[in-house]
Amino acid sequence: MLQEEIHQYLERFFEANGCTFIENGPGWMTVQLTVELDKALMNRPFYWSYLEKTGGIPNPMSVTFITDKEKAPESIKGEAIHFGSPRLNQIFRTAKQFARYIRLYEDIKPQQKQAPLYPWLSMNLKISYRCDLKKDVFRSIGLNLIHGTLAENFQDILEQRNLTPKIPDNCFTLTPIIMPKSAVRRIENYVRQGLAKETHEWAEEAVIRWQQDLNLLDHFYEDMEELPESYEIEKQALKEQYEPKITVEVVNGGLFYLKDALI
Amino acid sequence: MEVNYEFDHSWETELMDRYENDGPWGKWELYQLAVEMEKRLVIPEFEGLQAPKHLVNVNPLPHQLETARQVVEKMNGKAILADEVGLGKTIEAGLILKEYMIRGLAKKVLILVPASLVSQWVAELNQKFHIPAVGQKKSYMWEQYDCIVSSIDTAKRSPHRDIIYKQQYDMVIIDEAHKLKNPNTKNYEFVQGLKKKFCLLLTATPIQNRVEEIFHLVSLLKPGHLGSETNFSKKYKKRDRHVKEDEHLKQLVNKVMIRNRRINTGLEWTKRRVETVLIDFSKEEREMYDALKILRIAHDGYSYAGFSLLTLQREACSSREAVFVTLKNLLKKAEQPSPALEEAVTKIIKKIEAIKTNSKAEKALELIQSIQDKVIIFTEYRATQLYLQWFLKQNGITSVPFRGGFKRGKKDWMRQLFENHAQVLIATEAGGEGINLQFCHHMINFDLPWNPMRLEQRIGRVHRLGQEKDVHIYNFATKKTVEEHILQLLYEKIHLFERVIGELDDILTCLEFGKLEDHLLDVFQNSQSEGEMKIKMENLTQMIEFAETLRKQEEDADAARRNTSIS
Repeated sequence: MLQEEIHQYLERFFEANGCTFIENGPGWMTVQLTVELDKALMNRPFYWSYLEKTGGIPNPMSVTFITDKEKAPESIKGEAIHFGSPRLNQIFRTAKQFARYIRLYEDIKPQQKQAPLYPWLSMNLKISYRCDLKKDVFRSIGLNLIHGTLAENFQDILEQRNLTPKIPDNCFTLTPIIMPKSAVRRIENYVRQGLAKETHEWAEEAVIRWQQDLNLLDHFYEDMEELPESYEIEKQALKEQYEPKITVEVVNGGLFYLKDALI
Repeated sequence: MEVNYEFDHSWETELMDRYENDGPWGKWELYQLAVEMEKRLVIPEFEGLQAPKHLVNVNPLPHQLETARQVVEKMNGKAILADEVGLGKTIEAGLILKEYMIRGLAKKVLILVPASLVSQWVAELNQKFHIPAVGQKKSYMWEQYDCIVSSIDTAKRSPHRDIIYKQQYDMVIIDEAHKLKNPNTKNYEFVQGLKKKFCLLLTATPIQNRVEEIFHLVSLLKPGHLGSETNFSKKYKKRDRHVKEDEHLKQLVNKVMIRNRRINTGLEWTKRRVETVLIDFSKEEREMYDALKILRIAHDGYSYAGFSLLTLQREACSSREAVFVTLKNLLKKAEQPSPALEEAVTKIIKKIEAIKTNSKAEKALELIQSIQDKVIIFTEYRATQLYLQWFLKQNGITSVPFRGGFKRGKKDWMRQLFENHAQVLIATEAGGEGINLQFCHHMINFDLPWNPMRLEQRIGRVHRLGQEKDVHIYNFATKKTVEEHILQLLYEKIHLFERVIGELDDILTCLEFGKLEDHLLDVFQNSQSEGEMKIKMENLTQMIEFAETLRKQEEDADAARRNTSIS
C-alpha cells in the first residue's frame, strides 16, 4: 500500500465517521475525532466512564497522523502511519466492526411510476486454507432472495452502482421469498460444494509432512517401554501444526435492493 | 482429499436480529473500506513472505529474508537459527514470528532469553516488528498476554512452570539455545514439556565440543529427526565412523538448521585486529605461581574437591585474589585438611601476601590510558573483576561491572552506564552473552578461556552487524605459564582470532575429537614434565590440523562435484 493510498484511506475513513479535519496537508493530517471514534481508537475507557458518571462535557481528542515524512513539514509532530502499523490495523478493525451489516437501495429514477427493486443478500468471505502454512481467498457472493440466483464478484458489481441508505422515490421493494437465514445457508452450501470439488494438493502435502514427523516421533521413542508424557504432548502439537482445515470468515455483508432481477 | 471445514456462523445470527429490527446498518463507505483492506491483507500464496511489506522500521538483509523464507516454506516453522554471532538472528526470528502472526498461524507466543536480554527483545519486537511483546513480571501475565518474553530461569520455577504448562503455545523461541545441550538439566526438561507448534532455537554455537550436542538440540525441536538416542550414539559416536555417515548426518541437520556465515553474507565487515600482549610476572608473582606446585605434592591427586592445580595456575595468571578465594574454598571443603595440605596452603598464602602489584593490571591500565576510548575487559574470575574495579578506580578510571547473575534491570542499567558514563566495562564470562556493545571497539581478554567458542561469544559482543569501526582485541597472556601454552595452541596455531567461528566448530566435530577441554586438562594436568607437555600439545595441534585438511579435501570434492553437475 503506497503512502498516498494510506492518506486517502484515512481521509475516507474519518470523513465517513463524521470527523472534521483541522488540517489536511500533503503527507499529514490533524483530525478532530468524534466521541464514537475517540472511544474506538484512543483507548481511554476510564475517561469515558468517568465522564458518563459525572455527566461532564465530552471532549474528544484530536490526533495528527503523518502519512509521508518526506512531504510533511518537519515541525509537525504526530503518529507515523504505514502499512502494517498497529494504528492502521486498528482503524481497519474499526471500519470492519462499524460496517459488518448493511442495507442499501439502488438509487434509480424510475421513468414509469413505481419501479420494483429486487432483494439480494451479499456476503464477503475470507476463505483460509490452513495447515502449517496458510493462504486466503477473498470471495464476494450475492444471492437473489426471490429466485435464488447466485452471483460471484458481487462486491465489484455493487461498487458500480449508485447506492443509498433510503429507498428512492417511486420505488418499492419486493419482499424476499427466501429468508436471509436460509440464503446464508445456500451461500454456505455453494461455497462448500465448490471447495469439495477442489483437489487440495496442499492438504495432501501437509498430511505427508505430518506423517513424516509422526514417524520420526515414534522412532525417537521406540526404545522406551513406556511412552513418557512428552510423547503425547508432541503428538498433539503435530496435529495442531499440520492438520489441514479450511475456515470461512464472514468479513461483512447485508441486503441490497437492486433494479436487476438477474445479474 | 476431504478437508475439515469450519464456517463462521456468528455473523448470520446478528444479521437476522438487524433484519427484524430494521437496523442498525453500517455506512457504505466504511463497508467498502473494510472490504478494500481485507483484500489487501489476503495472503494469496502459501509461499513467500508477507512480513516485509508490513515493516518499515527494519530493513532485513538478504540472508535474513532468505532464512525466514526457508524456515516458513521448507522447515515447517521448526528450526535452529545458527548464524554466526552478530549476523542478526533476532531479526530473523522476528521476521518469522511476524510472518506467522500475519498469516494468523501464531498468536500465543513464548520467548525465552537470557535475563539480560529480556528488555532488548521486548524493545526490538515492539519497535521493529510491531509485535506487542511484554516482559514477564507477574505470574498472571502468562495467561493474560499473548506474547511474553522471559528468562528461562524464571519460567521453569514454580508457580510459573505449572501455569506455562497449561498454555498452548503457537510458537516458542529460545535464544542462546546452546545452553540446552544437556538433556539431564532442568532447563532441558522444562523446554521439552512445553506445548508448542512452531519453534525456533537461536544459537551461534550449535556444536561446541561433541556431536551429541546437536542431537539433543534437534530432539527438542523435532524428536526423532536424528533417531533415538541409542541409535544415534551407535551410529555416530563410534571412533571409526565413516565419512559417509557424516555426510548423512550433515544433511539431516541441515534440514532443521540454518547457519549463515559472515563470509557468505556478502556484507562488508570491519576488521578484527588482534594483538597478543605478553606479560612478565614480577618476582613475587612468579614465586606464587611456582609455589602452587607444592599442592600436588602436599595432597596426592587432590582434585577431589573439584579443584585442580590447573585451575589455580590459570587463576594465578589472572590475579592473586582469584587464587586466594579458591584456596580458601579448598580448605573449607576439605573439612579436615591434612596438615600437609594446610601447611602448603599457608605457604602459598604467604607468597600471595608478598605480591605488591598485578603485572597484568598495570599493563591493562597503561593500555586503557593510551586508548582513551571505551574498553571492555573480560575475565573468567569474579575476584579479578572486583580487584580490577578497585584498581582502575585508584587510577582515576571509571568502570562498571557486568555479571551473568545480575537482574535484568541491573544489566540494562550497567550497559547504559557504560555507554554514557564509564570508560570501562569489566565482564565475567557469564556476562559475555547477550549484551550488544557495538559502540565499543576495544576488548581486552584479561585471561583466556579454554573453549574457543566462549571466546567467539565474547568477541561477538562488539564485532557484530552495526559495528562501524575495526575491532581491536588484546589477548593478555603471562609468559612461561600455562596461559602462554594455551595461547600458543588455541590462538596462534589455529589462528582462532582472525578466523570466524564456523570454521572452527566444523573442524572440531569433523573428527570424533572428544571434548577439547578434556584434552587440554590431560595435557596440562597429567604431564609429568615440561617436555611431555610440549609433545602432547604438538599432537593436539596436529590433530586439529589434520581435521582441517580432511575438511578441506571434502570441501574441494564437494566443489568439484557441484561443478560437474552444473556442466
